[in-house]
Amino acid sequence: MTRPTEKEIGAIASAAGVPVDMEVAARITNSIGPAFDGFAAIAGTLPFDLEPSTFVLVQTAKAAR
Amino acid sequence: MSSEPALMSLTAVASAIADKRVSSREATQSCLDRIAKWQPHLNAFMAIEAEEALKVADAADAALAKGSRRGPLHGVPLAHKDMYYEAGKVVTCGSRIRRDFVATTTSTALQRLKDAGTVRLGSLQMAEFAYGPTGHNAHFGPVHNPFKLGHVTGGSSSGSGSAVAARLTFAALGSDTGGSIRMPAHFCGVTGLKTTVGRVSRAGAMPLSQSLDTVGPLARTAEDCAVLLGLMAGADPADPTALPEPLPDYAAATAQSVKGLTIGVPNTFYVDDLDPEVASVLDATIAVFKREGANIVQVDLPDQRQLASASQLVLAVEAAAFHKRWLIERPQDYGPQVLMRLQNGLAISGVTYLEALRWRGPALAAHMAATANVDAVIAPVSPIPAPTIAESDVGNAPNAEAVIQRLTRFTRPINYLGLPSLSIPSGFTKNGLPVGLQLVGRSFDEATILRIGAAFQRATDFHEKVPLLP
Repeated sequence: MTRPTEKEIGAIASAAGVPVDMEVAARITNSIGPAFDGFAAIAGTLPFDLEPSTFVLVQTAKAAR
Repeated sequence: MSSEPALMSLTAVASAIADKRVSSREATQSCLDRIAKWQPHLNAFMAIEAEEALKVADAADAALAKGSRRGPLHGVPLAHKDMYYEAGKVVTCGSRIRRDFVATTTSTALQRLKDAGTVRLGSLQMAEFAYGPTGHNAHFGPVHNPFKLGHVTGGSSSGSGSAVAARLTFAALGSDTGGSIRMPAHFCGVTGLKTTVGRVSRAGAMPLSQSLDTVGPLARTAEDCAVLLGLMAGADPADPTALPEPLPDYAAATAQSVKGLTIGVPNTFYVDDLDPEVASVLDATIAVFKREGANIVQVDLPDQRQLASASQLVLAVEAAAFHKRWLIERPQDYGPQVLMRLQNGLAISGVTYLEALRWRGPALAAHMAATANVDAVIAPVSPIPAPTIAESDVGNAPNAEAVIQRLTRFTRPINYLGLPSLSIPSGFTKNGLPVGLQLVGRSFDEATILRIGAAFQRATDFHEKVPLLP
């Protein structure tokens, strides 16, 4: 996963219903880019059956012990 | 007993009121006197409700005289971060957009504290919509650190940290989504408890991120936090995410020593790039725990940068989604920094957001495996003590963005894992700025970190230091 470009951010923001101009898109790229970089090793590697609710199962399993 | 009731701890004043050694009016007036002196310097309060507070305090005293005690905090005056809804009260959320918003319901956490008998002093300042780590607020001005005016309090529970430190309230609710309780606790020299996700109901608390938001107290001691948690925690029909996990006796836990407990010290990340004074506070604190009988071991944690990144992705999207209507209709009414942070969430696709959420379970499982042999992990809350308000003012200071990124480095991973974490006052810099350390516990095991924090506070007096007006 690579950080989104200004153009991609413009498209995603438009699709979200809150268009931003190119200057804002450039600023967002710099601001959120490191989070994309940091998550790159995980993105695209998760197993098919993994649900977000697994988090609560892990939390409560530990608490029950 | 202190001649100034406001200088007592929450548990001490509650007991003094119950025993009629101090009246609720005396305790309330004492806080109001300090508020009158400090508020012009700190800007910690959003609203001060002196007349009403004294009226309620008088009613509490009258009830007690007739033998009626509402609960364990009968007559204790408190103020909370201005994001907890109370029916009929203006709840600004630190924003222009909600400057005149009058709540029609009362948040569960607040109601439970009211049911325990507390008196409302007013409401406390905060970062706009709880989305800022320093204590700056474009609409209401920055909150100042009582230990050194001109320095930040940390955010977003800026007023809570400042007011508790200056002894303007015996405790305060904060909220922690990315460090917003622990950072003000660290910077202001108070005790702050970030609770496990699911431990305390969030009903009636302003949302920022439904996956990461937690409700918790800032107070003077771990024992005070334990009492408050015991009153607030537990399932709530109004918030299905508040889980019915067993509720231990938190206050009783704080009476125990650390003998036999094992505290893990991370061998990387949380010990990297520390300000030398923060590093020496960490070493000294570890030495105290050793002296008190705890076992200290090194722990090798999974990659914390990945956790912080996932946390940022989740937070950014969820915050943008909550604010979408106002981002479309009222973007000009946000402060520039908060608007920029909210816009960040627009750049992240649904697939990336869900991947960040899906990884949360395995990430927590990996953390649990790495910490299976320890009762808690100790780490700095932030690599640095409080910077000045000027040097962390994004837009006006050249390195402010870098300063802010550094501030939140050690808190975000814990939010992603949903773990409880207690920030305890652990020392002071040569310059007089407080340094706090966090004790990170297991899910739903606030009792152990409160126990460790209380044991530390019996062995040290950093939490007792009262700031003085210049």
